[in-house]
Amino acid sequence: MDYQIEEEAGFVVEDVSKIIKESVEATIGGNAYQHNRVNQWTTSIVEQCLSQLSKLGKPYKYILTCVIMQKNGAGMQTASTCFWDNSTDGSCAVRWENKSVYCIVSVFGLAI
Amino acid sequence: MSDKEKQQRKEKRVVKVPGRTKDSISTVSYIDELGHHDDNARLAPTMENTYQMGPYKRFPANAATDILKDVLTSYLQEEKYEVEWSQKMTKTLCEVIRARVKELMIPRYKIVILVHIGQLTGQSMQISSRCLWDTSNDTFASHFFKNSSLFGVASVYAIYFE
Repeated sequence: MDYQIEEEAGFVVEDVSKIIKESVEATIGGNAYQHNRVNQWTTSIVEQCLSQLSKLGKPYKYILTCVIMQKNGAGMQTASTCFWDNSTDGSCAVRWENKSVYCIVSVFGLAI
Repeated sequence: MSDKEKQQRKEKRVVKVPGRTKDSISTVSYIDELGHHDDNARLAPTMENTYQMGPYKRFPANAATDILKDVLTSYLQEEKYEVEWSQKMTKTLCEVIRARVKELMIPRYKIVILVHIGQLTGQSMQISSRCLWDTSNDTFASHFFKNSSLFGVASVYAIYFE
């Protein structure tokens, strides 16, 4: 009993990663790490991405995580695991860096 | 919901797509299910209507926070940061937390677990997350652990499957 008019095609990684990259570039761009602005950056990246993702109009719930880290030679590992429906849900991680900042954004899209 | 992770792991590959601009580099990584994507999208089982308005049993965020606290302290208490070890440990922690959250047996909830382990060398960092979901049914829990050489952050997100 499916009344959807178009093929939904699941979670499309290219669209999502494009949105994230644009949002990170626009927010951090060529800036160096500044402790007092980091909070504002993460908030703005995540909120911009979310609003663009909701404009895609797909029947999905999204979880977005953004980690911004100063380049200091320190190491960091991130892992994620999910219990969901492989046929409809998907995730994508974008790792962005410039001279003084590492930024990792992960998006998880879960079908309703 | 598909629970055949071990079988499907062999059919997946992690795809990394690099990109470059004037002063930044970016990499996109995602898991690509070889050859199965189209089939699965069409054959996804259409469920019969249950006429259920909301979850009968809500996800207990407190219990989840306790699980996270417990797992992080027991696995990371006396450890020192090492690259190889922490790569394995993040994955192990994810699996352990997922198994324990599944034991809570909350029906119709999808779970996403995120674990970060990092070295403490005086650098500054910020981790934030936002979600687009149904606030009445969906929730999350997170916990932060620190010892002298490393820190660990674990988050669980529970999404109701309507």
